Amino acid sequence: MSWLFKDPVLLAAVLCTWLPFLSMAVILIFTRHKPQLSSYISIGAVSTSLICALYLLIKLVHVGEPVEYRTAWLIADDIIIPFGYLFDPLSLLMLLIVAVISFLVQVYSLGYMAGDPGFSRYYAFQSLFAWAMMDMVIAPGMLQLYIFWELVGLASYLLIGFYYEKWSAGQAGKKAFVMTRLGDIGFFLGLILLVLGFGDLGIVAMNEAAQAQAIPSYLITASALLIFCGVIGKSAQFPLLTWLPDAMEGPTPVSALLHSATMVAAGVYMFSRIFPFFAASPTAMAIALAIGTITMLLSSTMAMATYDIKQVWAYSTVSQLGFMVMGLAAGGYFAGVFHLTTHAGFKALLFLCSGVFIHEYHSNDMRDIGKGGGRSLKIPMVCMTVGALALSGVFPFSGFFSKEAIMGVLAAYPNKIWLLAGLLGALMTAYYSFRLIFMILFPKKVDATMPHDAVHYHQEKDDKIQIDHEEAAAGHGAAHGHGSSHGHEEGHGNVFWYMAWPLIILTTITLVLGFFQHSLEGFLLGHAADAHGGEGGHGAGHYALLIAAVSMGLAGIAWAYYEFGRKGASQEGFLARLPKTQALFANRWYIDRFLRRFLDRAIYGGLTNVFTRNDRRVIDGGIDGFCLFTIGSGRLFSFLQSGMLQYNLLVMVAAVGLVVLYFVV
Amino acid sequence: MMNSPNFPILSVITYLPLLGILVICLINSKRHDLIRWVAFLTAAVTFLVSLPLYFRFDAGTWEMQFVENIPWISQYGISYHMGVDGISLLLVLLTTFLSALAILSTWSAVDKGVKGYMISLLFLETGMVGVFCALDFVLFYVFWEVMLIPMYFIIGIWGGPRRIYAAVKFFIYTMSGSVLMLVAILVLFFTHYHATGIMTFDILTYHRFGLPANMQFWLFLAFFLAFAIKVPMFPFHTWLPDAHVEAPTAGSVILAGVLLKMGTYGFLRFGLPIFPQASVDFIPVILILSVIGIIYGAMVSLVQDDIKKLVAYSSVSHLGYCMLGMFALNLEGVKGSILQMINHGLSTGALFMIVGMLYERRHTRLISEYGGVMKVMPVFATLFLLVAFSSMGVPGLNGFIGELLILIGAFKASLGYGLLATIGLVLGAVYLLWMYKRVMYGRITKEENKNLRDMTGREYAYLVPIIVFIVWIGVYPKPFLDKMDVSVQHLLEVMGQQRTVMLDVPEHSELRATHAMNNYEQYAADQGR
Repeated sequence: MSWLFKDPVLLAAVLCTWLPFLSMAVILIFTRHKPQLSSYISIGAVSTSLICALYLLIKLVHVGEPVEYRTAWLIADDIIIPFGYLFDPLSLLMLLIVAVISFLVQVYSLGYMAGDPGFSRYYAFQSLFAWAMMDMVIAPGMLQLYIFWELVGLASYLLIGFYYEKWSAGQAGKKAFVMTRLGDIGFFLGLILLVLGFGDLGIVAMNEAAQAQAIPSYLITASALLIFCGVIGKSAQFPLLTWLPDAMEGPTPVSALLHSATMVAAGVYMFSRIFPFFAASPTAMAIALAIGTITMLLSSTMAMATYDIKQVWAYSTVSQLGFMVMGLAAGGYFAGVFHLTTHAGFKALLFLCSGVFIHEYHSNDMRDIGKGGGRSLKIPMVCMTVGALALSGVFPFSGFFSKEAIMGVLAAYPNKIWLLAGLLGALMTAYYSFRLIFMILFPKKVDATMPHDAVHYHQEKDDKIQIDHEEAAAGHGAAHGHGSSHGHEEGHGNVFWYMAWPLIILTTITLVLGFFQHSLEGFLLGHAADAHGGEGGHGAGHYALLIAAVSMGLAGIAWAYYEFGRKGASQEGFLARLPKTQALFANRWYIDRFLRRFLDRAIYGGLTNVFTRNDRRVIDGGIDGFCLFTIGSGRLFSFLQSGMLQYNLLVMVAAVGLVVLYFVV
Repeated sequence: MMNSPNFPILSVITYLPLLGILVICLINSKRHDLIRWVAFLTAAVTFLVSLPLYFRFDAGTWEMQFVENIPWISQYGISYHMGVDGISLLLVLLTTFLSALAILSTWSAVDKGVKGYMISLLFLETGMVGVFCALDFVLFYVFWEVMLIPMYFIIGIWGGPRRIYAAVKFFIYTMSGSVLMLVAILVLFFTHYHATGIMTFDILTYHRFGLPANMQFWLFLAFFLAFAIKVPMFPFHTWLPDAHVEAPTAGSVILAGVLLKMGTYGFLRFGLPIFPQASVDFIPVILILSVIGIIYGAMVSLVQDDIKKLVAYSSVSHLGYCMLGMFALNLEGVKGSILQMINHGLSTGALFMIVGMLYERRHTRLISEYGGVMKVMPVFATLFLLVAFSSMGVPGLNGFIGELLILIGAFKASLGYGLLATIGLVLGAVYLLWMYKRVMYGRITKEENKNLRDMTGREYAYLVPIIVFIVWIGVYPKPFLDKMDVSVQHLLEVMGQQRTVMLDVPEHSELRATHAMNNYEQYAADQGR
């Protein structure tokens, strides 16, 4: 083990990535029945990881060349999967993001999950996730990345289905796993293609070879497109985007950590990880740009039609991921990564704030929360507004800077249609974010009747709410000493502050992160940034663009204020007057229904049916028929030879008769 | 004693169960527990005795090891020839390992005719180990048939409601395959006799015997049918779901874990080395059937309402991977294939045990009868999930390594088949997670499920060892793959010489065939003279 201690960087890396795994094992095997201890073990592990990640960042911040540690995972002597660590600005940044948000979410969960019967299990899964995600982030080779990518999906499956008694939770977990796996098949095929055609899956080697045009362009295009399928699955891009909103069945902190800030960003991270490789194929980039744009626009419209606060942020996550993909695909490496960073902060913030409301009012419906007096929860209300402002791209919140960066890249793109799409997306984003804020802030006195088209969702939601209540009740029964009763201000104590501190920290991050744009840019792009003065969007049209983008955001907010915020507003929104459109949006553009029908008709109704019937009728039937035939003919012959003279005579007569008949006729 | 080179360890492993049978025969058939313990201890000791095989096995050579070669019926060249190489080593160990655990798994579920049941299981073990060790055609055939009889009884006597149908079907299917194989063995024997004048049933001799091409074709076809039924490959698979569903847990575990591997093992031991050219000619057929099997098995699994049937059909899909890797005919593919045989034995064996646990508690295998079981059986739920993930090939568990190697091999051999085979990866996740969700998630809707017990000590005892290996192979497969490395390489070298001649220079292949033919005619002429 002495090699480990000789190099503090390596030691920090190993601690950072493997402590969570250790914590998971310890919790699952030893401390299952001691919830408090389990949570401390897990938080202890993840905070050590955080410290190590910070140390690594500080230590390696000025290292120009990527630092790589490699060892081999020996499958056999001739089949070796390189394992190890690759530290470059991108992985260091992402590692820090994952560690920070994991840490905050785990602290927050102390409050949110208090008294839950599966408290230990929850922390074990959180540790599993932290381990898999961190090892994915620092992977030096694509195969390691792929392996941990799958394990992250596994953690996601477990955490979505955490409330296993909820039917929909199990369903959502399965859907998430299968849909992402569908994308992963493409990813896997891309890797295989690359192994056979190029032979090296090292990230640095791939990027360098692609830049030096050492790989034939058809191979790059083909494998880049296949690998992009993995991004589509993991980052919920069109057409595999519907699993992410469903994944909100998991506990809210899980939604904050996995399904907004880190795990779903893994797709975008992977895209930026091998960005030079992708960039070598204009075709792949163009397709990625189109898919990102479609995703962003579609999911923004979906967010406008739902009343479930977690759903709104889920759709918003999908749309922001699409926006990041747009930025990257348009050539804005820094812009995409920067938006990933800021988004991780403010989207985790939004989810955690929503979690406070859900925890308090036992409802996901923004109208219920508004009526219940959501505005009286000052800290989460303010924090959520800050998050929403950042999401809408309002100065001086972090989202403003990163959105601006992507807009700049899009503006530099020859075809301006993408820029228009981006601006439209900004308008819708601001609208749906503040629709939510205003509905909670200024609740309408009279009950708003539910539009009929959303009945399907309402039903589901009702079930969910009901279950939430019961589960919470069970939870509170078990929570002795915490006294987290339903009353508003009494006895919150620790539970409240466990949940409040992460919000305050994330709000601070959201407020200040934007101003670090240039240092981050210098860090990520290295010397290239100094030479070119950053990428994209520094032309003459910069200020015009800035004004256009911000005014889009402000227009969205104003629009939301007109419909939901001002006194006497109907709080119905323009969609209520367009029932068809609303139904379209609320039903996710029928993507799910289409997929469902496809599955029912083609797979379940068609192929499996045919196959099963084929098994029973054709193959089995054939064999059984053959056996019956054998038995029957056996009977027949045994009948002929029964030894009874009469029958023998009869047969003889019949035979002779037949012969005679033959000759006569 | 056991360390001496002349110690007949293979025979000891093979016949130790018979010793157990002898002891059981002397016990009063009413003393069920004693019989069970004797049976289990016999199997456990057999496993312990088989462990030195692994440690003393020299991975540096492809030659047969622990060889015992005694003339048996010498006027026909029949000998008692046993030995293992890197291909059969792990299968022997898998057999002894699973046999012991299988006996544990139907400890209390079978309470009628315990004596006969345990005798059948031990007898089965003798047959299975013998098949993997035999290096003489007659010996092999004897073990092959010996194995059939106890399995027939296990299904037919201790099985479910449709046991007679299932047992007869199993017997007829396997028997028709093995009769063809017997004919092929005899043809092979006489061909060799006419060509060389030597009577021998020694399998290794035939590895070096260049058969004329057209003859290879027909003989391979006969062997192919025998083994394809056993694997089972599409479309010879329909005996499998019936046999699995009706068999008691131990029967299913052994059937899936070991008996199916006889087919794949047969291809490796006979198909490839004895009929190299025919094997190459058959590649497209076998690859197509494998890929169909992968997708077909998975698709049919999707709609099963019986857990056991679902697992049974998933075997069709998994064995499709084994065949695909094997007939990719490259190092990765074949090694992956052998490893996947072990993996399938462990994962599917464990799945059948898990189904058995549920069945023992509720006496039903219908998915719709369950739901919400996770609430009452949390530890069981965790282990079940682990095994399910291993079966669908999640990284970190054994299935991933096998599938990775097989797919690399398949893609090296042919892009198209590799592409199709990857579809199975998604489907595998779909049917297993679908079943898991139905059984474990949700609320408990059935009154009977509210008081199910979590794992008992005995259940830990047979499930945990399997899980240890599932994780071990998933994290560090090297010790397992290393043992087979040289043997597989040698096999491929033998094949490879054939292949380069056949594929690269077509004229040569004809030359070679005629050359072999000339030899054969010349020999025949010599014989005549």
